[in-house]
Amino acid sequence: MTKYTIKRLLQSLITVLAIVTIVFLLMRMLPTDYYFTEDQVMKLTEEAKNDQLRAAGLLDPLPVQLFRFYGRLARLDFGTSRRLQSGVPVMQLISSKFTVSMRLGMMAMGVSLILGILMGVCQTLNKDRFLDHTGTVYTVFVNAVPSLVSFSLVLAFGSRVLKLPSMYSTRNPGPSSILPVVCLSLASIASYALWTRRYMVDELNKDYIKLARIKGMSSQQIMLKHVLKNAFVPLVQYIPASLLLTVGGSLLVERFFSVPGMGPLMTDAIGKYDTNVVQACVFLYASLGILGVFLGDVMMMLFDPRIRLAEKGEAR
Amino acid sequence: MKNQDELFHFVEYSSEAAERIGYSDYSYWKSVFQNFLKKKSAVVMAFVFFAVVIFSFVALSIGKYNYAELKTSSALAFIRPNGEYWFGTDNLGRDYWCQVWYAAQVSIRLALVVAVGECILGVIMGCLWGYVRSLDRVLTELYNVINNVPTIIYMTLVALLVGQSFTTMAISLIAVGWLGMARNVRNLVLMFRDREYNLASRCLGTPVWRILVKNIFPYLVSVVILRLALSIPGTIAMESTLSYLGLGLDNNTPSLGLLLRNARNYFLDFPHLLIFPAVIVSLVTITFYLVGNAFSDAADPRNHV
Repeated sequence: MTKYTIKRLLQSLITVLAIVTIVFLLMRMLPTDYYFTEDQVMKLTEEAKNDQLRAAGLLDPLPVQLFRFYGRLARLDFGTSRRLQSGVPVMQLISSKFTVSMRLGMMAMGVSLILGILMGVCQTLNKDRFLDHTGTVYTVFVNAVPSLVSFSLVLAFGSRVLKLPSMYSTRNPGPSSILPVVCLSLASIASYALWTRRYMVDELNKDYIKLARIKGMSSQQIMLKHVLKNAFVPLVQYIPASLLLTVGGSLLVERFFSVPGMGPLMTDAIGKYDTNVVQACVFLYASLGILGVFLGDVMMMLFDPRIRLAEKGEAR
Repeated sequence: MKNQDELFHFVEYSSEAAERIGYSDYSYWKSVFQNFLKKKSAVVMAFVFFAVVIFSFVALSIGKYNYAELKTSSALAFIRPNGEYWFGTDNLGRDYWCQVWYAAQVSIRLALVVAVGECILGVIMGCLWGYVRSLDRVLTELYNVINNVPTIIYMTLVALLVGQSFTTMAISLIAVGWLGMARNVRNLVLMFRDREYNLASRCLGTPVWRILVKNIFPYLVSVVILRLALSIPGTIAMESTLSYLGLGLDNNTPSLGLLLRNARNYFLDFPHLLIFPAVIVSLVTITFYLVGNAFSDAADPRNHV
C-alpha cells in the first residue's frame, strides 16, 4: 500500500510537471507585445521594451528560463502579478479569488450531492414509472442543451419570476449567489442522479437481494442497507474529483454572473500575458485534478475493503 | 414397394451447397437499420433533426434580409417579431431571423466537422493504442497530461496564439477531443483483442487489419456512435461558451455564444432575443442526442437477433 502510494504520487508529480512545462512553453510562444499595456506598446521605444523584458528575464534562452522556473516552483514561489494587479504576490491574488469560488463550489457540491442522490433513489424506487421518466427527461435536457442556453433560462426564470438578483455582488452575497449555485449544480445533479440510478438498478438485480427478499427483509431495509450502500461505492470515486474541480470555479458561470472568482482569473491572466498568474493557476488546476482522482481511489477503498489499490493500479 | 435405390441415393459433395448451409442472411448494417426503424420515437426525432438542419440552410434564402448586408440603426432596435422581421430585431436594429439561422448553421457545421474529425482520429489512434502494446504507456501519459488541464485553457491559448476562425477552432477542438474517443476505443479493443475467436483468427493467419475491421470494429460501432451523439451537443455547447467568453469564433461570424452574449442584458425585457436561438439550438442538440442514443443501441451487435 505505502509503496503503491509513493509510486502513484511520483507519477502524479511527473504529470503535473509535464503540464506546467507545456503551458510554460505555450506562454512563451505568445508575441511579447502582450506583455505591455496598450499604452505602453504605443509609447515605449523598442529599446525600452527590450530593457524591461530583459529585466524580467524574458529574453534569456528558453532552457535557462525553464530551469529558473523549475527552481522557483520547487520553492513554491509563484512570483508577483504583472498586469492584473501589478506587484501583488500571485498567491495572495489567487487566494482572495479562491475563497469566493470555494464558497460557491462547496454550496453547489452540497446541493447537487443531496438532490442528485435523492433523485436517483426516487427514480429507482419508481422505476419505469412517471417519476423515473421525469428524471430521465431532466438528465437528457441538461446533457443535450448547451449550458449557456440553460443558464440563460435559469437567469430568465430566476430574476423574472422569483425576483432574484441577476448579478453576483460582494455586498449581498447571500441571495445573489443563489442563481450561480443553481447553475453550477444543474449538470452535476443530473450526473449523480444518472449514476445512482444505474448502480442501484444493477445492484437490485443481484442474487443476494433476492435472498434478502426471500428471508423476509422489508423493501425499505433492503434499499437502505444493501442497495444504496453498495451503489454508493462506485459513486464515491467521483466525489473528490468533482469537488476539487468545482472549487476551481466554473469559468462560464462566473463570467455569466460576474462572480469575482478563479474562473475568469485564468483567461484574464492569459489575455494579459500575466505569466506568473497563469502558471500558478495551471499548477493549481492540474494538482487539484490529479489529487482528486487519487483521493477518489482512496475513498473507494475505504468504502469497500474488498478493493485493494495496489492490484487495481497494476490492472490499469 | 419401391426399390431402396429409388428412395435414397448418394449426393456428390458440392462445395456450393456446403457454403449455403453455413450462410445465414445476416448483414450487420441491415440489422442496425432494422433495429433502429423499430423505434418510432427515434425515427421521428431523426426526421426533426434533419428537417431543422436542412431548414437552417433554406431559411437564410427565404428571409427578407441578407446577413452580409445588415445595417445597424437604433430606430429599429428591439422590434418584436412581426411580418417584416420574423424573429424581431436585436439591440442594434438588425434582423434577428437571419442572424439566428446563420448562427445555427455555423454551429451545426462546426459540430459535424469536429465530430467526424474526432471520430476518424479517435478510432484510428484508439485501435493502435489498444492493439500495439508498446504504445500504451506513451499514450496513457499523454492522455493524463491533456486530460488534467481544463479544455478551456488550451482553447484560450490557441485563440490568443493562432487567432480566431472557424478552421482554427475546428482543428483545436478535434486536437483535444480525439483523446476521449481514443480512450473509449482503446478500452474496448483491450477487452476484445485476446478473446478466443481473435486468438483463433490470428492462429489461422488473419492479417491484423482484418481482425480489427471484421472482428473488433462491430463492437466499437455502438460506442463510437454514442460518443458522436454526445460530441455534437458538446461541441455546440463548447463553441457557445467560448464565443461567450470572446475566445471562440471571430466577432463578425454570428454564433450562438455571440448572440446570447449580446442578448445577456436585454433578454429579460425582450424575451424573443433568448427564445428563438435557445429553442432552435436545443431542438438540434436534443434530437441528435436522442437519435444517437437510439442508434447506438441498435448498433450494438449484442442486441441483434
